[in-house]
Amino acid sequence: MVRSTLLNSMTETDHSVQIRQLNYFFGQADLRKQVLFDINLDLPKGQIVIMTGPSGSGKTTLLTLIGALRTVQSGSLKVLNHELVGMRKADLVEVRRNIGFIFQAHNLFESLTASQNVEMAIELLNEWGNKRSKAVDVLTQLGLADRVDYKPAALSGGQKQRVAIARALVNHPALILADEPTAALDKKSGREVVTLMQKLAQQEGRTILMVTHDNRILDVADRIITLVDGRLETDETLDNFVEAHDPKALDRRMFIM
Amino acid sequence: MRRRTGLAWANLSYERRRLLTAIAGVSFAVLLMFIFRGFENALIDSQIQLLKLLNGDIILVSKLKQNMFVPEQFARRRLYQAQAYEGVEAAYPLYTTTAYWKNPQTKRIRPLRVLAFNPTDPVLPLSGIIAHQRELQLPWTALLDARSRPEVGPVEAGIVTEVAEQQVKLVGTFVLGTDFASGNGNLVMSDQNFLRYFGNLGPDEDRRDLNTVDVGLLNVRAGEDIDRLAQTLRERLPEDVNVFTKTQFMQQERDYWQNNTSIGFVFSLLATMSFIVGIILVYQILYTDVAEHWAEYATLKAMGYSNTYLLWIVIQEAMILAVIGFLPGLIISAGLYQLTASATGLLMKLTVTRVLNLWIATLLMCLISGAIAVRKVQATDPAEVFGT
Repeated sequence: MVRSTLLNSMTETDHSVQIRQLNYFFGQADLRKQVLFDINLDLPKGQIVIMTGPSGSGKTTLLTLIGALRTVQSGSLKVLNHELVGMRKADLVEVRRNIGFIFQAHNLFESLTASQNVEMAIELLNEWGNKRSKAVDVLTQLGLADRVDYKPAALSGGQKQRVAIARALVNHPALILADEPTAALDKKSGREVVTLMQKLAQQEGRTILMVTHDNRILDVADRIITLVDGRLETDETLDNFVEAHDPKALDRRMFIM
Repeated sequence: MRRRTGLAWANLSYERRRLLTAIAGVSFAVLLMFIFRGFENALIDSQIQLLKLLNGDIILVSKLKQNMFVPEQFARRRLYQAQAYEGVEAAYPLYTTTAYWKNPQTKRIRPLRVLAFNPTDPVLPLSGIIAHQRELQLPWTALLDARSRPEVGPVEAGIVTEVAEQQVKLVGTFVLGTDFASGNGNLVMSDQNFLRYFGNLGPDEDRRDLNTVDVGLLNVRAGEDIDRLAQTLRERLPEDVNVFTKTQFMQQERDYWQNNTSIGFVFSLLATMSFIVGIILVYQILYTDVAEHWAEYATLKAMGYSNTYLLWIVIQEAMILAVIGFLPGLIISAGLYQLTASATGLLMKLTVTRVLNLWIATLLMCLISGAIAVRKVQATDPAEVFGT
């Protein structure tokens, strides 16, 4: 079902993500609470978008919705040309295979080597013959050529996060969703990780949506969107954002972030 | 084609100490099941070890003799009637009774089971009995079971003491073993001596003579269909005797102890409890793995792995535990079986059937644990990994 929709809508749009009038609620009946209000958002292919906003503004919820991790009932949410609204859970799993996820924690299996952790992702595509060489390739690109057979316990925080990124990127997903990928890293490793992501996005034309509070990495973004109380408040290019948040014209929002 | 990454084994073996605990847990549960099953069968097998040795293809007993405990006899002429049938080669009577034996050292009285037959008949072809055939024919002589309880006193040829308050001389020993019906041991004597000891008892005691038989043994000509012959005898002989093939006779005795006493129940309960303890142990191990790695498992789900795959991982872990926990359990059980057998004289046998049955039980034990533990994985929501 997913495959056929993919073919039919392949030519429809150049957007990786297309959101129209998306509302989302947590809870049932009396406890029902709306967390996202009338979101409209287009993410064109090849763009790096950073999403910011105060805690509890719904950033993570929006990220998980785009990531096909929750079922959606109203509005329209097209990810990689699949309409996720009303989709069955089993089909959502299929959509997720085309998305790369990077989390705040690396979430690597301690019991597997760096290469094996990456191979777990390749196996999803039923590719067995060259999975090892593919894993080594992507780890090499991320500067981990000499750490391929190390277990996470023997890697530094930055190296672990790079393995996690390798795992997210190895299948060449058209869309990458990252949640605070640099939060657990020091300044230098954080910068390295983001630069790598930027390089890969530019080389292979992938869309990256990143939630972050880390001001040090804002410069990699083509575009910055701000979510406040479940509503899309600003949607600006990097230059505008920097201008608006110029320390000379200090804005209270800076501190909230 | 390369193999799938062995996540199940990697996760299990990553923490050595936990893996060892897990193996020890499974092994212990396996060991307990083996020991309880072993004891149950030892107690029941001991009941039929005499029957197994009796030299008869078809067995006749009184209709009232439901098990070897019941002291009911049938008329000896039934044996002669049976012997007249085509195919029956020989018929031997076996007389049994319980008699008081005086320990020659402590002078204490202990009941023994007396097995009496014509020493020239091959009724109980044990080496010790065949060797002393001639001495048995002398009056006031008997053979004593070397595996009798120690309370019976020394067991060796030449001892003179009393049985049924009359003098007896031991002319040798044989090896049989005790069961419930022969609590302290067995005494073998000739049918003539049986008559001497038990034919002239006091007025309020049950006198015995050679006209009533406890167990009748029929030898069937080679090549004869034993089941059909037994069926014929069953139909033709008067209703006061039961006709069994030897296998049926042993099965009846076994069924009696298994079903009509609490032995079967008690040991089945103990084995079931070990099984449940095993389930809980394995569940703990699997649950800890899943709970500690929930974020990783949830990430796998986010990446596009299905619940079925995660279920398979946990089931694999369960099966690995079953395999590597069963072997040490089996080996230790085999050792304990030997130890128990030499210490108590009980028949502890590690049969292939029991090994297979308990292997299936172990596998089932681990799979049930896996099935319970896996619900934790299935409940894992990949959306929760974000924002933690």
